[in-house]
Parts: sequence; structure tokens; C-alpha cells
Amino acid sequence: MDIKQIKQIIDLMKRSELTEFAVEDEGFKLKIRRGGNGLPVVSQTSASNHPFVMPAAEQPVASAAPATAGTTAKDEEGIVYIKSPMVGTFYRAASPDSKPFAEEGTKVTETSVVCIIEAMKIMNEIQAEVKGTILEALIENGQPVEYGQRLFKVKQG
Amino acid sequence: MIQKILIANRGEIALRIVRACRELGIKTLAVYSEADVQSLHVQLADEAICIGGPRSSDSYLRADRIISAAEIADVDAIHPGYGFLSENAKFAEQCESCNIKFIGPKSCSIKMMGDKAIAKETVKKAGVPTVPGSDGPVDTETEAVKVARKIGYPVIIKAVAGGGGRGMRIAHNDVTFAKEYHSARNEAEKAFGNGAVYIEKYIEKPRHIEFQILADSHGKILHLGERDCSVQRRHQKLIEESPSPFLTPDLRKKMGKASIKAATAANYENAGTIEYLVDAKGNFYFIEMNTRIQVEHPVTEEVTGIDLIKQQIRVANGEKLEFDQSDIKFEKHAIECRINAEDPARNFIPSPGTIGLYYAPGGHGVRVDSHAYSGYTIPSHYDSMIGKLICYGRDRKTALERTYRALSEYLIRGIKTTIPLHKAIMSDPVFIEGKATTAYMEEFMNRTPPDLFT
Repeated sequence: MDIKQIKQIIDLMKRSELTEFAVEDEGFKLKIRRGGNGLPVVSQTSASNHPFVMPAAEQPVASAAPATAGTTAKDEEGIVYIKSPMVGTFYRAASPDSKPFAEEGTKVTETSVVCIIEAMKIMNEIQAEVKGTILEALIENGQPVEYGQRLFKVKQG
Repeated sequence: MIQKILIANRGEIALRIVRACRELGIKTLAVYSEADVQSLHVQLADEAICIGGPRSSDSYLRADRIISAAEIADVDAIHPGYGFLSENAKFAEQCESCNIKFIGPKSCSIKMMGDKAIAKETVKKAGVPTVPGSDGPVDTETEAVKVARKIGYPVIIKAVAGGGGRGMRIAHNDVTFAKEYHSARNEAEKAFGNGAVYIEKYIEKPRHIEFQILADSHGKILHLGERDCSVQRRHQKLIEESPSPFLTPDLRKKMGKASIKAATAANYENAGTIEYLVDAKGNFYFIEMNTRIQVEHPVTEEVTGIDLIKQQIRVANGEKLEFDQSDIKFEKHAIECRINAEDPARNFIPSPGTIGLYYAPGGHGVRVDSHAYSGYTIPSHYDSMIGKLICYGRDRKTALERTYRALSEYLIRGIKTTIPLHKAIMSDPVFIEGKATTAYMEEFMNRTPPDLFT
């Protein structure tokens, strides 16, 4: 089976109502199934060593990579960001007279509290969810923050 | 005095609300998910706050984040649009307790009309005709036959625990009733583990006709005429028009009066819609009340000349409605086509993706409510409606021809849409003659070759 034949099969599936197609050959197995959004999903295993260059099948719509609560995004090597998991007001310390939870140089682990985000009168402690050293606080005390907004720049490790 | 509104919605209705606010000099705050960063209304609103990930459950349905955003941005009111939290009584209550004006009815009205059984009882007491039926489950054949005869055949026997069109049987007379009754019970027992059934009058090939209500907080309740939404596929509306080609002036008056009675019984404020099924003889039956602004509101706007979103905001602001029932004139005929990113030739499979060329029609009597634009990527996380085409003219013939003309100019390249389907319907004799009932779409699809939709 060569690339041309596989392309033909994909075209056939797109034009028809076929939901699944499978074929087995010597040292080669191919299965194509309609994905959740109706586009064919190709999976193949090959016993041979020839690296298959799959045709760039139509990709499902690339939505913005969902940032789950508190997880970080990679920037330069080893640099990650702590992002806001909610909408509210950002506070660096537990109270106006307390020391900030995290400053430049503070070492944090996954469960270290780095700040407070106040939403509807409730103070929510936000955990780092990453291990490393705080490089910079990106938001000023008392500023409103939105979901996914970068709060701290962290050097991982 | 409302000076800033948070729009708790997305897509074309969010854009609609931004436009109304602009014209009223009110500031707008768009709350959006990460999938809607490039959405038109987010770009056009005065402020924007991201409230979550792409999934609705992680963003547009997060009442806590929305209210949080409302507080940090210091808004006076929230417009919930349609869908999402618009008919969530708890959300409306939360707004009320946070001193943020919810642009819609009171939370108690939402609660009352949200329970279909309570809604039916409430309007029935007010003298509004409802679908005749047994008051609750019917447990013996003798009792069931009595009820069926009282209601009048044909009747539909429905499972109390049912849904999705299952556990329903239709009986046309005494002879077949017993058999259908027992079959329905058995099916219900097997499918839902509960064999209890109730009986309702079966309305054959009804038309779906709804009335627009507008009420202020000073006791004035008006109706703004009807919309005929019979062209539906799997209970999803595709085309709406006003006036209904079926209603006589007399029936319109009767149904209008009934609608005001229903809204009064619900203690209603702001915009809402009363939905009815109408049979071939002109008998109408209340099925439900929608306590929000609806997708098809532009149809009524073009027929009456009244801006419903602006009126919603004014009512929320405590203002009195400036006009009376006698001032409302039905001067145009309007037809709306819902443009969905779906492929009608392949069973309406959703067709998300990036729009290449987008060119919307224009000219006399053409209105396009859409958030789409060239290069816009339709997210796959939400419903498939990308816009509405509303065409209007002095009579139905003009509206029909104009709709066909506008659809012919409407270019949306790169994805599949329902534009060809709408064109086919506009040319179909049954629809042209105004004979479409809720049975129309299935019948039309059965006799129309799929390549007419490409």
C-alpha cells in the first residue's frame, strides 16, 4: 500500500458515509475511522522500517490550546508562567500588612500558595502547580485579573 | 441608570447587544472563552475579560466567573442573550442579590415558566388553551379509555419517564387504543424502567406559532405579533416568518389576547415569547413560554419597527414602554433564514473551520445578523449557527423573492452552510403557498435530491 492508495481511501471516505475502513496486508495494518467531528482519523502500524509520511490530513479546527486552571505555558527554555484559574482581584499577600506570598527569588513547589485571588468576597489561595523559582510578579497588588492571565514568571527546577 | 452592560453570551447575539448598547451610549463588557478571542463582538466591545477555557461548562456557563467579572469591571447590568444562563433562575437570583440588574424577567417568573407542568397549570388557570391531557399518569386501561374519549381522538400516549421521542404511541380510535396503550406501557417499562404513561391530545401536523411579549416594570404588557416557526428539523428552527401565512386577523387577535393573559399570569417583565401549536382547524394550544429574547427576534423587529434589544435595556432601566397595543402596526412581511455551518447534503453534519471569503448580501430590505467575517475560524465547541439572514418587504411575495435573491449573493467559502438548503426551500411550491407545517422539513427532505444542497 502506498501513499497514493491511502489518499484515495481517505478521499473515498470523505465523499461517502463510511465511518470505518480497515485493511491488513503483509506486515502492514491500516485503520481509518471518522473522528468526533466527522473527519477521518488515520491510525497505522507498520512492521517495516519505512517511515510513513502521512499526507497532512485535514486537521480539525485548531482552537487555542485550552489552559486548564493554574497550569503554565512554556516560553523560553525552562521558563513557565503561573496563569490565573479564575476571574477576580489579585492580591500578593494574605492581608495589607502581611508579607507577599511570592517575590523574586522565592522557591516554590506545586502546592506553594503564591497569591490570593478574590472573587465575590471570597479569598481564594492560588497554588503554583509548578516547581521552581519565582522570577517576576507580573500583576500589581489589587489589580483585576481574567482567566488565563499570566501572574508570575517562574524558572522551572 | 444603566451605564455599563456585561454581555454574558457570544456569537451573533453578543454582537447584536453590543450594537444596541452603542446606539444607547452604554458601555459594553464582553466576557469570552479562550476559543472566542478572535470573535467580532470581543473586538468591538469597550472592554473584554476572559472567563475560561473553550468548553461552555468552563466559561459561558460559569455564573461565578461571570459575576466576578461584573464586579471587577463595575457593571450595572448583565444581558444574558439566549441559551447559556438566560433562563437560569438561580443566575438571575444571584444577579439580583449582587445588585446587578439582570436584563430579563424576574427570577421567580423564570422559575415558574421553567417548570413545564407549573407553566401549563398557571396559564390554564388564566384561561389560555393548553394541550388537553390527563392530569398525570393513567394506570388502568378503563381510566385511560375514558380520558382518551374525553380529550377526543387522535391521542398520544407518552411515557412519564420518557424522552427523545421514545415511549410514545398514537391511537386514532377506541378500537386501536387498548393495543397502543399496553404497547406504550411495555415499551416504557423496558426502555425507562417505569411503565407509567399519560395521555395528551395528538395534534396532527401542527404549525408552530409563537407570540412576542414585551412588558415593562410598571404593569404594561403588550404583544408584538406572531412568528411562524413551523419549518424545523428535529425541533430546531430553520426558518421563521411574520406574519404567519396561516393566521386570520381574528385568530391573531384571539391568540394575542391569550398571550397577554399568559404573561400576566407569570407576572412578566421584559421580553418573552409564548409558544403555541395550531392545528388545521385554527385551534391553538399553549406549549411553553420562553422567558428570554429569542434567536428569531429580528423578524418581529422588521415587521413592527421596534428594536427589541433596546426595549429590553430600557425596561431593565425602569423606564415605561412609550407605546400602547394600538400603536403597534404590522407593516412588513419578514422572513429569517438561520445560516448554520452544516452540510445539508450529508445529514447536516457540523462543518466548523475557517471561512475563506465572506461576502454578505445587501440592498433594499436585507438584514444580516452575523459575527462571521473573512478569515474567521468557527470554533467547534458551540452551536453551528453563524448568522441570520432577514429579508423583508411590503408583502410575503416580495419577502420570498428578496430572500432568494439575497441567498444567491451570500458567499461563505471554506465551509459548508445551509444557504443552498434555504434557496431550495424558497423555491419550493409548498413553502411558497404558505402550507408548511412542522411536518414540512421531513417531507421536503424526502423528495428533494441531495445535490440540490451543494
